[in-house]
Amino acid sequence: MTTRIALGSIMMMVVLALPAHAGGKHELQQYFNNAATRVKATDNPSEKRTILHESFQTMSRALEMVERSSSMSKDDGAGIEYLKATLQEKQDELAGHNGYARVSDEQLNAFSAYVVQDMEQADQVVTISLVALLLIIIIIILLV
Amino acid sequence: MREPYNRSLRGTPCSMRVVGACCAALAVLLCSCSADLSVQREAHQEKEVPAAPYSIVCVIHGDGDYLYHDTSGNKYEANEKALEGAQKVAQQNPQAEVFIFHQRPGRHFLFFFPLRDGEFYYYRNGRLIATESYWRDQKESRFEPELELYRRFGMGNQREMIRLFLYYGHEIPECGGAGYDASYPDRPFTVGHLVNGLKGFTGDSARFNLMIVSTCFGGTPYTIGALGTFARYIIASPDNLHLSYFDFHSLEHLELSVRDGGVSGFARQFARRSFDRLTGDIQTAVSVAVYDVDRVQEYVRSVHSVYDHTLTALKRETEPSLSTAEHCDCADLSPYALPAMNEGVEVFYRPARFGRSKDKQSHSGWECWRRRGPQLRD
Repeated sequence: MTTRIALGSIMMMVVLALPAHAGGKHELQQYFNNAATRVKATDNPSEKRTILHESFQTMSRALEMVERSSSMSKDDGAGIEYLKATLQEKQDELAGHNGYARVSDEQLNAFSAYVVQDMEQADQVVTISLVALLLIIIIIILLV
Repeated sequence: MREPYNRSLRGTPCSMRVVGACCAALAVLLCSCSADLSVQREAHQEKEVPAAPYSIVCVIHGDGDYLYHDTSGNKYEANEKALEGAQKVAQQNPQAEVFIFHQRPGRHFLFFFPLRDGEFYYYRNGRLIATESYWRDQKESRFEPELELYRRFGMGNQREMIRLFLYYGHEIPECGGAGYDASYPDRPFTVGHLVNGLKGFTGDSARFNLMIVSTCFGGTPYTIGALGTFARYIIASPDNLHLSYFDFHSLEHLELSVRDGGVSGFARQFARRSFDRLTGDIQTAVSVAVYDVDRVQEYVRSVHSVYDHTLTALKRETEPSLSTAEHCDCADLSPYALPAMNEGVEVFYRPARFGRSKDKQSHSGWECWRRRGPQLRD
C-alpha cells in the first residue's frame, strides 16, 4: 500500500506538472482547428457556414462570460476585448455584414484555415492570463 | 480478514526493492538537475576538423506559445520544427560551422527542481561536434551563456568567413518586453537585449553578412536600424508571419547557393523561396523583405526621430497592447511616406486572403505603429 501511495504521488506530480506549461492558448487554437477540420469534412456549404457561425458564437459567449467576471485584471480585459473584436470581424465577413463581402461557398474551406492561422501568427501581443484562458475553455466545454 | 495482512507481509521485500529503486532513480535524476552544476557536456569537441568558410549562428526561442496547425489540421510546435530545420541545415552544409541555441521553456522536476532550459548544438562540416544543455541567462545581459559557448567552440577566424545570424521566435518587442518568455514573464526581452547579444557575437569581427529575423513585425525602422549595425543584409517580415516561419531549406548547401550570386543574390533567393512556400499554405498576409542595410540608412535616419517619438508615447502607456495601438504599413502614415522609403528594400508581399486588408496590393517593407482611435499623444 505504501509503495502504491508513493508511486502514485510521484506519478501525479509528474503528470500534473505537464499541462501547467501549455498555457491554455493551445486549447483555444485546437478549438478553431477542430471547427476547421469539421468544415473541410463536409461538402455542404450550408453546414460549413453553420459550423463556423456556431464556433464563433460559442467562443464569443464564453469571452463575454469571462469578461463579466469580477476577478479579471485590466490586461485580461484588454486581451479578451481584442479577441472579441477579432471574432466579430470574422463573423461579419462570414455573413457579409459591416462592409464585408460575404465569403463565397467556394472559399469556406480557405476561410476556416484563415481563422486558424490568424490565431497562430508569431506575434506576442495578446496577453491573457492562464486563469482566464482556463475559464474560457471550461465555459466553452460547458456550452458545446 | 487476515488475508490482506499476510499478503502485505509477503509483499514487503518486493515493495522495499521498488521503493529503493525509485529512490535511487530519483537521486540520480536530482543530481542531474542540481543548480550548481555547470554546463553539461554530452559529446566531446573534436579539435582536428578542417576550417569552414561559412558560419551560422541560429537562436531559436521556444519559451512561449508556438503551436500551429498545417492545412490538414496536424499540430506542430514551431520551435521544434525550427530546430529540426536548423539541424538539417547544419548537416547539409559540408563547409560550415553551425551554432544552434534552442531556448526552451523553464521546467521543473517534481515542481521544485529546475531543469536546464537551453540546448546547444555545434556542427562543423556537416558533423555534430558537441551538444550541451545549459542554463539560460537570468541577468540583464540575456545572452551570456550563449556567448560563452560561442567563444568556446567557434573557430576564431570569423573575419574570413561568410557569417549568417538567424533568429526564430515571436515578435521582438521594441519597448516593454515583459512576458516574452512564458517561463520568466517578469524578465523582459526587447530588440535592445538582442542588440547586446549581437555585440558579443560580432565582437571585433566584421558584421554578419546576412541576418534572418523570422518573427512577426521585424521590418520596422527601429528594428532594422538597431540590427543593421551588425549585418550587411537583413531578411525580415514587416507584417505578421505565420509560425511555420521562413524556409530553412534554402540554407542547405551554402557553398553552392552563395557562390553563384553572392550574399545579396542568396538573400533574394531565400526571400523568394520563403515567400513562395508561405503563400502556398497560408491564408493570412505574407510579407518577406530584404533590406540592404547600407542603402536603407538614409531612410532609417530620416524617420528615426518621428518613430522614436511614437515609441516614447507607447512606453508612456501602462502597457502597450493591441487595445491601444496597432501595426500598420509606414506608407499609410504621411511622416514616413518619404521618397527614400523604397531605396534598398525588396519586398515580396501578398495580402491576407480575408479580412479588412485583403485588397491591399503592396507593402512598403516598413512597418510602423498607429494608435487605435485617437492619435498617440506627444
